[in-house]
Amino acid sequence: MTHSLHRFGPYQDEDFVWQVYHAKGINDQKVPDKLQKVIEVVKEVGSENWGDVKTGPIVCTSEETIRGRLTVQSRLRGVFTRRAQVVQFLMRMKELDLGLSVIIAGDLSEVLQACRKAGLTPHTVNYSIGVFGRADLLPDEEVLGVTSMCGHHMIAAALVERLRERVRKGNLSPQEAAKRLACLCLCGIFNPVRAEILLRGEFKKGGES
Amino acid sequence: MRVKTECCVGCGICLDYCPVGAIKLVNGKAHIVKEECTECWVCYRNKVCPNSCFEPTPLLDFAAVFKHVLSDPTETYQGTGVPGRGTEEAKTNDVTGRYRPGFYGICIDVGRPGIGVYLRDVQKITRALAKVGVAFASPEENPLSAVMTDFKTGEIREDLLDTRVLSIIVEAICPKEKLPAALAALKEVAKEIDTVFSLGIVSVWDEEQNRYLFQTLEKAGLPRPRRGKVNVGLGRPLVKF
Repeated sequence: MTHSLHRFGPYQDEDFVWQVYHAKGINDQKVPDKLQKVIEVVKEVGSENWGDVKTGPIVCTSEETIRGRLTVQSRLRGVFTRRAQVVQFLMRMKELDLGLSVIIAGDLSEVLQACRKAGLTPHTVNYSIGVFGRADLLPDEEVLGVTSMCGHHMIAAALVERLRERVRKGNLSPQEAAKRLACLCLCGIFNPVRAEILLRGEFKKGGES
Repeated sequence: MRVKTECCVGCGICLDYCPVGAIKLVNGKAHIVKEECTECWVCYRNKVCPNSCFEPTPLLDFAAVFKHVLSDPTETYQGTGVPGRGTEEAKTNDVTGRYRPGFYGICIDVGRPGIGVYLRDVQKITRALAKVGVAFASPEENPLSAVMTDFKTGEIREDLLDTRVLSIIVEAICPKEKLPAALAALKEVAKEIDTVFSLGIVSVWDEEQNRYLFQTLEKAGLPRPRRGKVNVGLGRPLVKF
């Protein structure tokens, strides 16, 4: 699945998805034990959201529950908002040498700099080339910026529009709205910090980040 | 999925939650348009109904099961053993070597972002790519490949063509020299589909591979990619090319 690759809208330079994967039949030994160690790193670095799709994201599930349900099929994923976190994460994963695949998705200029700083050379890149077809069916860029943070499409554009309206009218805090949306994205790659900004509609000068 | 109409009070809360807008209010009650529903179970799993009126209907045939497994990321596609939409694509390329120097991976999220797709539209894409001569992922690697009946023509099982999923990934490997034709075919078929797709091109990290890709994209009138998903090569045993 490429659920972390194609994101849209402003503030992509403050939005990094991390993933730790094993390949069935190749490096799938002791996966739960290894992922317990990954969780330690993720906490140390301060990932803003993370989880396991079979259990849910940390923003609305307990760490204990996620840890307790790790199996040989589990993969962990989450988000960072700063390049420095990505560098620290990569350095720690390199030190741990768990033998699992580590993937970072985001703005390439940022991600590649982070790899260099961590002393890592990319192995493979999946490049996002864009959207084709009936673009007229898509919601506006602000809404798309939020919905596309869940690459499995668990977040409906209509819900984002409704919550955005409530936030802007002052009937709902952007934090609460972002959390409600984050809980729908089961694997934990929804960035609640970026969602708050998009829901408030406060953009940098020039719109695009 | 169905709504137990006897308990629905017509509040309409659930309408906002359906990713593909398949829930409508009919005569003051929530109603799921069966053909539009992708069985993602967002409505049911998240308990969005204050009266718990959503109820899964039995998945009685292969099409129903396929639709649900592809659209609900909590399910694991048993053919590949991978949750989500059932493929590892480039994420484990450091240990699988699925994508090698001299080739590019074509990774198309059809129906994404957030529109959904009928497999008849997916078939238009697989047919277009088949004409170029790409090699589709094996059924052990990708769930869509498991329902393709002819890799040479890009045909998909006829009984599934009216099945709608939230999104599905077309995966193929394209020799370097065929990349321009593949991009041209995708640009052309994009005019014929009633949905969207997000295109990813996978490459091993190599200066010459990257240069050729960016030049080819430019010639095809496509922008240089700003976003990417980077496998940093920490998987072991590291594949040797």
